[in-house]
Amino acid sequence: MAAINPISGGVGHVPRPTADLQKSGPGEGGNFSKTLMDVVNGVDDKQQASHTAMQDLLTGKTQDVLPVVMAVAKADMSFKLLIGVRNKVIEAYKQTMNMQV
Amino acid sequence: MSLGRVNSIGSVDIAISGLRAESRRMDIIANNIANAQTSRTETGQPYRRKELVVSTDDDLLAGVRIEDVVSDKDSPFRHVLMPGHPDADDQGYVEMPNVSLPREMIDMVTASRAYQANAAILKRYQRNVDVTLELLR
Repeated sequence: MAAINPISGGVGHVPRPTADLQKSGPGEGGNFSKTLMDVVNGVDDKQQASHTAMQDLLTGKTQDVLPVVMAVAKADMSFKLLIGVRNKVIEAYKQTMNMQV
Repeated sequence: MSLGRVNSIGSVDIAISGLRAESRRMDIIANNIANAQTSRTETGQPYRRKELVVSTDDDLLAGVRIEDVVSDKDSPFRHVLMPGHPDADDQGYVEMPNVSLPREMIDMVTASRAYQANAAILKRYQRNVDVTLELLR
């Protein structure tokens, strides 16, 4: 995680106060990984909720299919977003590592 | 679009609330049709057709809320000549529910179309999210 800290300024669409952005110099970090962990946890929560909803339906705990649809749709969309951002970050990391110094 | 909460997730809630309301409406219509010939209930009167009342918070995008299920007290009961019926009066007329099958059928088509429309909204939101994420590539 420490290796990709220098690119933290490049992920512009991660909402974050400007003050924090200026504070975190190269090598200092912790900020990007924290943001990332928050996002991953958020997506994980949605996945868990989707899982629980589906389990409740299949075990007959609830008869209502709509909460399942809702939870699955949310989990699916946020997971796709996470994947998209991850691909972008990995790509940026690769490009940085391929740079001739 | 923030990472923790996809913008369109609010839209998912809205579409789901619409789906829920319309499926409730379908339940009520099914109940009306099932009781179209119910000449007696606990109150001693025939069945009264039920209607769904929905509401919303006007200034918020909060979707639709199922407010209440009310009885239709305005339209009159039908009087059908059935002299042998146990609920018949002196002249042989039986009071029948104020359910009109053609009306229920039209309401059913409306409700199921509205359900489909809400489902289409949900599907389109998901596609919009996909289209937005395509921009990341």
